[in-house]
Amino acid sequence: MTPEASPARLVTLRDGRQVSVRAVRGSDEAGIVRAFERLSADSRYTRFMVHKKQLNPAALEAGLNPVPGRAFVFVATVPSSEGYEIVGAAQYVPADGSVTDQKDLDDKGRVCEFAITVADDWRSSGLAVHLLASLVRRSRRDGYARMEGHVIANNRPMLALARKLRFEVEPDPDDVTMVRVERRLAPLRKTLADGRS
Amino acid sequence: MWQMSNGDPALRLMVHDTAPHVDQSPASAEARPWLAQYPDGIPTEIELDEYASLKELLSITCGRFPELPAFESMGHAMTFRQLDVASRSFAAWLLKTAKLKRGDRVALAMPNLLQYPVALFGVLRAGLVVVNTNPQYTPREFEHQLNDSGAKVIVVLENFAASLSAVVASTAVQTVVTTQVGDMLPPLRRWLTNAVVKHIKRMVPTWQMDNTVAFNDVLSIGSGLALDDVSLGHDDLAFLQYTGGTTGTPKAAMLSHGNMVANVLQVAAWVGRDLKDGIETLVIPLPLYHVFALTGALAFFSKGTRAVLIANPRDMPDVLKTLVRSSPTALIGVNTLFRALLDAPGFAALDWRRLKLAVAGGMAVQKVVAQRWKDATGIPLVEGYGMTESAPVAIANPIDIVQWSGQIGLPLPSTEAAILDEDGGPVAVGATGEIALRGPQVMQGYWLRAEETAAAFTTDGWLLTGDMGMMDAQGRFRITDRKKDMIVVSGFKVFPNEIEDVLALHPGVLEAAAIGVADERTGEAVKVLVVRRDAQLDEAALLAHCRVHLTGYKIPRFVEFREEALPKSAIGKVLRRALRDKDRAAVDRQAPGITAASGLRK
Repeated sequence: MTPEASPARLVTLRDGRQVSVRAVRGSDEAGIVRAFERLSADSRYTRFMVHKKQLNPAALEAGLNPVPGRAFVFVATVPSSEGYEIVGAAQYVPADGSVTDQKDLDDKGRVCEFAITVADDWRSSGLAVHLLASLVRRSRRDGYARMEGHVIANNRPMLALARKLRFEVEPDPDDVTMVRVERRLAPLRKTLADGRS
Repeated sequence: MWQMSNGDPALRLMVHDTAPHVDQSPASAEARPWLAQYPDGIPTEIELDEYASLKELLSITCGRFPELPAFESMGHAMTFRQLDVASRSFAAWLLKTAKLKRGDRVALAMPNLLQYPVALFGVLRAGLVVVNTNPQYTPREFEHQLNDSGAKVIVVLENFAASLSAVVASTAVQTVVTTQVGDMLPPLRRWLTNAVVKHIKRMVPTWQMDNTVAFNDVLSIGSGLALDDVSLGHDDLAFLQYTGGTTGTPKAAMLSHGNMVANVLQVAAWVGRDLKDGIETLVIPLPLYHVFALTGALAFFSKGTRAVLIANPRDMPDVLKTLVRSSPTALIGVNTLFRALLDAPGFAALDWRRLKLAVAGGMAVQKVVAQRWKDATGIPLVEGYGMTESAPVAIANPIDIVQWSGQIGLPLPSTEAAILDEDGGPVAVGATGEIALRGPQVMQGYWLRAEETAAAFTTDGWLLTGDMGMMDAQGRFRITDRKKDMIVVSGFKVFPNEIEDVLALHPGVLEAAAIGVADERTGEAVKVLVVRRDAQLDEAALLAHCRVHLTGYKIPRFVEFREEALPKSAIGKVLRRALRDKDRAAVDRQAPGITAASGLRK
């Protein structure tokens, strides 16, 4: 299951601005690092839930080379003097405790965990909705049965977004400051039969 | 409205059709079950038009009680008339000499001294906006607050000027008004006090700043200047009151004159039944830059009360001496302070026969403290609840409570409280959800933070508190947990991210997380878990680093070095619950308030 070479899609956002959305490439390293450095402390915190000075090299490496069929990373880019800048990124990976062996790929119990980061000046543009919807479609193709995410309970914009895309929002039973969002990913066959995703 | 979930559709419609910030017509008793629990003599609504602004509160009150003592500090009293005159001079200087324009911000960084009410009312009557600032801030904290607020003038006690001087050049501050501890005392005592503080106790670190002017020079210049009348109404901004953000970056709640007038009237109505105009004495050991102390003090002020200020509540012998000398009829504090008082040698000898009222906010009151206080003084500790964003009091226990209930109480007059579910809809009576507030004391929004303002309110105009709780059929509220990741230390909010931010500045730190742990004395204390990059890094070095960047109450009490990385989810989010679990297990279940810290927060 290699990801087909996905060409960039040009997306027009709610506020009229346009971004190009595509799969991450190994050559995006500099762009990802620049994007991380531009993020406000608050944005970093909502992504990592701890103050982060720099990206962990191993995590960066894994993020640039997602294992086909198991993980995926979308980036949203705009042209810039550096060639392009990354203004949003969204990814999913196999969730902890989820079955990840190749032989279990069809197992209905597979769960992936997602995360989305949008540059501070691209908030409220509709970019995050677009990225999350793309993740949902893509993860379904990878055979995942459910998608989950961990959200800070006070991160109301993210929770509103999750609800919009039919995630169930439930308080984390062990940590009231956190919320767990989860949705079922309709089987691919049914989706195809419906003629839409 | 929680009672209406399967009930009257007309009422339901009324609630949901109401736009945010639109005045509510008084709801029926059915919608506000707490009204039936009000003690006799407490009004269900306040008359907001009693004062057009805090300026009018000042002029009316000073007109009613000119010769009575308004504030007292270090044994010296200032009458209402003297306060009126001095604040007028201060206001005239701000407008004429400092050339501030309506709406400009003035930061006040002082402990409880007579200079504070003078400067406070001076700023307000000039039509300017008060930025309350903790004088013990480090340079980093001063810089953030001054830059965010855009304050053009700051009044600072000289003892704290050194920290300010390190960063003032990189802020919008044009003039620094410096004051010394004894500035408002009579001439001989002023000179003696200032000399002792500076040269004997050596409490004033050396500082050097441009564009400074002495507080007393401001008053004498201002006394020769005309003060043009400034017309102020409920909608005019009065305070930028800073509070921690979701992730720790402090942000300011915009409190208008109307918000403050409302809460002053609400608090006065709630606690004032047994208070008589012009004869009460209030002792305030809590700093007035803390909004709970400020609004409480103003509520008593409106009744012509003598307010005795305590500059340093940690100096327990001095606190006791002040209590003996002033023989208070009312006391405002936080749980930590009442506890320290009860434990202080000499407390048993105090005479509490004149005491009518003891009010606690800022943090949950512990059962043991409430019981000991009642036994020792015969007066219950009345606990209030609210947040900076609600100016701050929204819910409080009735003053006639017999004993500690573990509840935060009933919504104040003209205040609505509700328990909402994750989608912002009402939950059934007795069910748990987020406590939400609506009323004339609720802020205008966050200063320059539209997105956070929008997130703080539901579409129906409810202010979301971040506290989880429930309401019983009688309309009594209780806190069960807290949605916001924050630590309340002696009534002061500490946000883990700010601590982690500072820890991360240290080159020897790879990763760090701050959590709250239960603490007998302070309610909660800050504990940090640190993964080192530099194996030589030790606790002493880390704490020394923290002291440079964080004011006292934010400094971690416990440091734990971890050899392995912090626990994370598959996608790299730190799972804080795994950090807390171990520590939370030790919490005393007899006192739920310790973990479910409630109360009025800074």
